[in-house]
Amino acid sequence: MSFLPLAHALAAREDLPVPAWLFAWAASIVLIASFFALAAGWRSPRFEQARPRLLGAGFSRAILSLPVQVLCGLIGIFLLGLAVYAGLEGTAAPDRNFALTFLFVTAWLGFPVVSAVLGDVFRPFNPWRAVGRAAGGAFTAIAGQRPAHLAYPERLGRWPAAIGLLAVVWLEVVYGAGGTGLEPDTVAVATLVYSAYTLAMMGLFGVEEWCERGEIFSVYFGMFGRLGLFGVRDGRLERRRPFSAATTWATLPGSAAVVIASIATTSYDGASEGAFVDPMESVYEWIVDLGVGLTAASRLTDTLFMLACFGGVALVYALGVRGMRTVPGAPSKEKLRAGFAHSLIPIALAYLVAHYFSLFVFQEQAQFTYLLSDPLGTGTTDLFGTADGGVDYSILSANAIWYVQVGALLVGHVIGLMLAHDRALVYWPDYRKATASQYWMLAVMVAFTCFGLYLLSVANG
Amino acid sequence: MLPLAHVGHYAIWVLYAVPVLIVAAAIVRSMIAQRRWEGDEESAPEEP
Repeated sequence: MSFLPLAHALAAREDLPVPAWLFAWAASIVLIASFFALAAGWRSPRFEQARPRLLGAGFSRAILSLPVQVLCGLIGIFLLGLAVYAGLEGTAAPDRNFALTFLFVTAWLGFPVVSAVLGDVFRPFNPWRAVGRAAGGAFTAIAGQRPAHLAYPERLGRWPAAIGLLAVVWLEVVYGAGGTGLEPDTVAVATLVYSAYTLAMMGLFGVEEWCERGEIFSVYFGMFGRLGLFGVRDGRLERRRPFSAATTWATLPGSAAVVIASIATTSYDGASEGAFVDPMESVYEWIVDLGVGLTAASRLTDTLFMLACFGGVALVYALGVRGMRTVPGAPSKEKLRAGFAHSLIPIALAYLVAHYFSLFVFQEQAQFTYLLSDPLGTGTTDLFGTADGGVDYSILSANAIWYVQVGALLVGHVIGLMLAHDRALVYWPDYRKATASQYWMLAVMVAFTCFGLYLLSVANG
Repeated sequence: MLPLAHVGHYAIWVLYAVPVLIVAAAIVRSMIAQRRWEGDEESAPEEP
């Protein structure tokens, strides 16, 4: 989050009762204990066999009714339009303009957390889906037939969303880090370009098809929504066992790449402010020595390290899959790779919370005070009388932030272990073999936990 | 830039890597034990 100078830690941590690295050791011990507890007491699949409970028909009809859908869609379109307008017409100061905080903090960080609790809440508010559905409805009314679409290439799966996710974060943390920084009008133009691209793809392949596979934000927020309590099936709301819907998420090609991209981009953002600073400087100087311009060299360096993070996270996961393959009775490598990808979703969420918790708490104060009353940041409007509001940085101590970070990483990885263990029991009905296969996922989880805490400890100073 | 200038960073990294190394070592050890056990089973003479 380079456009905001106070992205992560605001002050050096105070003295912790024990060194930061001991938290990594303690977290690893908790994970190992959780692993053995799962092996001892969880001997048949529970998430996979969970039966959701349908909510009342009247309540479902009300929540899923056309007027509510239209209202939610209009709210989404209005907020996106406001962000684009603020970006184009508002101040160039990133921290005073509604566009950046709304798009990159409120929506980008808020939807994953809310979705992980309630289910896919972005879907009804998705502005592109609302426009696409309205256009489809208008076409049907005028032409007297539903719009025809091309068949979506199955092999593409969610790869467009995975690549798009890398591109969004690249715009946010790489493009913005070089040169003059990420300016609101750049974000507004990028949003308009993305809107045109998305609507064109929806026209080609169908609204729901594209939202399920290629629309970056639908796929990304929907992924976290699979951890949540509520879903929709056959036009009815259902209440499901927490995390259970994640088991059916990674059925499309490229799903593993989406969740790996999520972990990798968050890791990169954290590491670029701490652990990677020295090696990035060395690579940057080397690229500049080759005769590349300063801004291009900076962006190229950042891009290389972001891709290296993606490769590193993918490699750790691939090692876990390769290890599981050695257990007798293992399914194919491809099946294992797709079959355990969903166990990384809570880790992606944990990384997100751990890295951006403080940013979110601080920037939401700005969002709901001066950015709400003066969205353009010009100092000429005060819609709700809160334009003079500010951010209270004393609301969180540096140590409180650290404990939230450790807690988020730990809980996320324990849930990841549970999901992986549950899936292993499907592939290896003999619980001893299932447990043996999960030694490897335990290693993956411990590696991600320690890596995450290392990044945070270095970034926090 | 002297490579030794960043030794401090690497030292801290090693402390964070210790749990991963322990788990990896435990996996390798259990794999070796499993293979040895399977080997013993195969070479054991069948009872009449």
